[in-house]
Amino acid sequence: MDLFLQYLANGVVIGSTYVLVAVGLTLIFGILGVVNFAHGEFYMIGGYAGIFAITVLGLPVLPAVAVVLATAAVVGIAAEAILHKPMKNRDATSSIISSFGLAVALQNATLIVMGPQPQRLNLDVSKIPVLSSLPTDFGPVFLPQQRTLIPLTMVLLIAILYVVLRYTWTGRSLRAMAQHATVARLCGVRVERVAVVTFMVGAALAGIAGMLMSSIFLVYPIVGNMIALKAFTVVILGGMGNVAGAAAAGLLLGITESLTSGYIANSMRDIVGFVFVILVLLFRPQGLFGKAVDRS
Amino acid sequence: MAALSRRHMLSILGASVAAPAIVRAQSSEPLKIGGMLPLSGPASIEGRQIILGLQFAVEEINAKGGVFGRRIELVMEDDESNSTKGVTAVRRLIEREKVPFIVGTYATGVAAAASKVSAEYKIPMLSGGSTGALATDQNTPGDPWFFRSWPDSNAQGEDTAKAIVEKFKKTKVAIIHDNTNYGVTLAEQVTRVVGTAGGSIVSRDSYNAGEQDFSSMLTKLRTQRPEAVYIGGWAGDGANILRQAAEIGLRAQFVGSGSMLSDDFIRLAGPASEGFAVASLYEASTPNPVGKAFGERFRAKHNQDANTFSSLGFDSTTIALEAMRRAGKPDGAEIQKVLKSGMKDFPIVQGPAGTTASFNAKGSVDFPNFIAVIKDGKRRLDI
Amino acid sequence: MKTLLAAIAAVALLAVAPFGLGGYETNVLMMVLFFVILAVGLDLVSGYCGQFSFATGAFYGVGAYTAAIMSRDLGTSIWLHLPAGAVVAGLFGLLLGIPALRLKGHFLAIVTIAFQTIVYLVISQWTSFTGGQVGLTMPNAGPVRIFGVTLFEFGSLRSYYWLTLAMTVICLIVAWRLIHSRLGREWVAIRDDETLAGAVGLDTTRGKLTAFVAYAALAGVAGVLTAHSLRGVTPDDFTIWISATVVAMMVVGGRGTFVGPIIGAAFLATLPEFLGKFAEYKMLIYGVLLVLAITLVPEGVVGRWRARTSR
Repeated sequence: MDLFLQYLANGVVIGSTYVLVAVGLTLIFGILGVVNFAHGEFYMIGGYAGIFAITVLGLPVLPAVAVVLATAAVVGIAAEAILHKPMKNRDATSSIISSFGLAVALQNATLIVMGPQPQRLNLDVSKIPVLSSLPTDFGPVFLPQQRTLIPLTMVLLIAILYVVLRYTWTGRSLRAMAQHATVARLCGVRVERVAVVTFMVGAALAGIAGMLMSSIFLVYPIVGNMIALKAFTVVILGGMGNVAGAAAAGLLLGITESLTSGYIANSMRDIVGFVFVILVLLFRPQGLFGKAVDRS
Repeated sequence: MAALSRRHMLSILGASVAAPAIVRAQSSEPLKIGGMLPLSGPASIEGRQIILGLQFAVEEINAKGGVFGRRIELVMEDDESNSTKGVTAVRRLIEREKVPFIVGTYATGVAAAASKVSAEYKIPMLSGGSTGALATDQNTPGDPWFFRSWPDSNAQGEDTAKAIVEKFKKTKVAIIHDNTNYGVTLAEQVTRVVGTAGGSIVSRDSYNAGEQDFSSMLTKLRTQRPEAVYIGGWAGDGANILRQAAEIGLRAQFVGSGSMLSDDFIRLAGPASEGFAVASLYEASTPNPVGKAFGERFRAKHNQDANTFSSLGFDSTTIALEAMRRAGKPDGAEIQKVLKSGMKDFPIVQGPAGTTASFNAKGSVDFPNFIAVIKDGKRRLDI
Repeated sequence: MKTLLAAIAAVALLAVAPFGLGGYETNVLMMVLFFVILAVGLDLVSGYCGQFSFATGAFYGVGAYTAAIMSRDLGTSIWLHLPAGAVVAGLFGLLLGIPALRLKGHFLAIVTIAFQTIVYLVISQWTSFTGGQVGLTMPNAGPVRIFGVTLFEFGSLRSYYWLTLAMTVICLIVAWRLIHSRLGREWVAIRDDETLAGAVGLDTTRGKLTAFVAYAALAGVAGVLTAHSLRGVTPDDFTIWISATVVAMMVVGGRGTFVGPIIGAAFLATLPEFLGKFAEYKMLIYGVLLVLAITLVPEGVVGRWRARTSR
């Protein structure tokens, strides 16, 4: 039982990063209809930006987060200009091909600039006020503080996102776009602005995830591949465009993977996710948490 | 028409890029040698470290005036760890660039396919990282065309397994490895030899290279109480595993594959790397004076430690250049003759003191692996 | 008529090319031909039938491993491997086609990525059957005999090149016939408007499945040829990067134009050979090229050219 709880906790930690990456992905899809295969690279760039801010510039954590967010904003603007603006009125495959090309280009540009060696962010938890006072033992479950930080940040960011989407004008515009782009435009929603904001939010969430994860894991040029694949799995399980669904599915996938490592074999964990997604696509294409509506 | 004009444009472009080289060549025409490594694609991380060894060897020989009074020019080809590309690259190097030998490549499957072709042209190849036994086993014994200046993966696995059981006196061993050729071959050999040396395998599991979260795999491993854990795979993943194992308090003697002995590894793993042991062909603090001197020169130039990858690239290149010098002319068949038996006095940087390039009938060099242990953030061979 | 003559002239030129070229150039041409088969195959399912796929490398690998495993276990010859590779890969194509019945665009793209990944994992991990990461080696295809008379000996690069050329021509003819058959027109109807195609009584299930099978079978043939010419198989020849490269070839050349993917394959497969020292930027160039092509010339070079001349 103790072991089960530990596996569960491990799953929640890794699942939280899936949530952060997948929510941005599902937002971009739900609002703009863009399938962004370069989303894993947003994560990778966030990781490198974090390392640059803390290791090279020597900034404390909060200013470093600001650097990551600023980088993400630039990335978001650029990605929108490449993946969305010229692709309006095109079929879905155009943005798939374009974003795949962008992903390949970003990975290889990073490989040339940063080199292939993995990097790690040295985040000294004992210097971060709230975090250093967190416990590491929760009953039978043990979690180091860096790990606890990940689900906490996830909950915080998702809560902020929820509030913004719910109660601000920008959030309302975003939701209006997701429901019906043409009507939203008629009601005075500035579509171009919404598109840029959506990409910036997506890049920011993935970038923060990348920064957090590079403190317990590593970042390297092709790290985004697996993350993007996981995020897509989550987005499909949660129902394309469904933010709450992505959050639930992200945690679910993390926990499933963790339990697979614990009770079956670690070598099976990626395959389990894929099989899961193929089954869901075959039998419940609207996702585990989606409503069955046919959209033409 | 479009294709024609494109080719035309490319040839003009090529000419303008090549022009300065031609001017220089008039004084003494450079002697081209071939290199082939995965510089893009999945194995480029290793390829880009190995290439440093090749380039370093060429720079050093040119600083000494080259060979036959001619400057050496290294022509690199990228095989992308893809056999189709590898075979094409070999033909290009031999037919177009007229290289007398090729240093390459990293992936054993590609090396096997490519060396079949190079043997048809009577051009010897020297491994650029391929460690799998397959590549040298397909040589005709006594007449190899594919040479490897270090023992095959089976030997590394064997030395590691013996160290676990005999040196560290651990008998309950857990094996984890990545799914690359490198990790799988080593893990299989360690598994086999631990069994015959009197130890037992308590568990075996694998991960995909580049996987990030090992916490649940290690939590499970902890319940099986292994005395030693063998990790076969790349440095980044190994460092990740060590850190996460330390976090959850998994205490055992950790032993890793040769890839995990670099400054980078210690930097990435942090304090968790204390006590970690590894079988290695080369490391910067080697007792081999030739290797140590190489390590110092390499560090002075690149400001980073030479590792297994750069040292093997360096060895393969210097051995081939020396064999060419001894053969007296840049001719593949003559160089192969010298490599077969005429290099037994040539010291190499890998292996213990006194290791030389004495290739056996299958084209491999036999020497024991080091067992190095990390202590106080430094690699030591004396523990 | 003009097109036919040009095609015959091109094939004739390619057939005599090895006499005027060295082994390296012949090898590059052979590699181009592999990619031509792959890109034209992908064009059937993506360009004509509108079903996106990132799984070309998987079917290519299935064909190659079919040949390698049959040669190891049954000792059969290349003449059996060619149809067998096409059939086995075609069956896998059918398997991938089933989810395609229900999924569109992005969903399908992700399933094909998952499929590609799973096939790669199987061929690289199932060591006892596929040789694992090291792969398998194969003997030469052996002599070609008719009634006991040896016509020529397989083994030289040229013999494999000619076989590849012949198979490429056959594959292109098959693809051409398919596109211009009733089935091919059904594919186009499904691509243009699936709902409408179904409404006017076309069997969209059959249309999609046949497109996937044809695509996979062609890739399988390319795989058999590759395995034999390399005298072995290794899993890293069949990664998602191969799939991505083939997508780039098709898109740059022009989807649904038949000639486009051929030109795209010839251009992108030979590009690294021209890059020389800059070969390490190859993937970066591919990526940028893919973005530029889909943004500026989404119909591909050939598509744009045709639109120009028809106006």
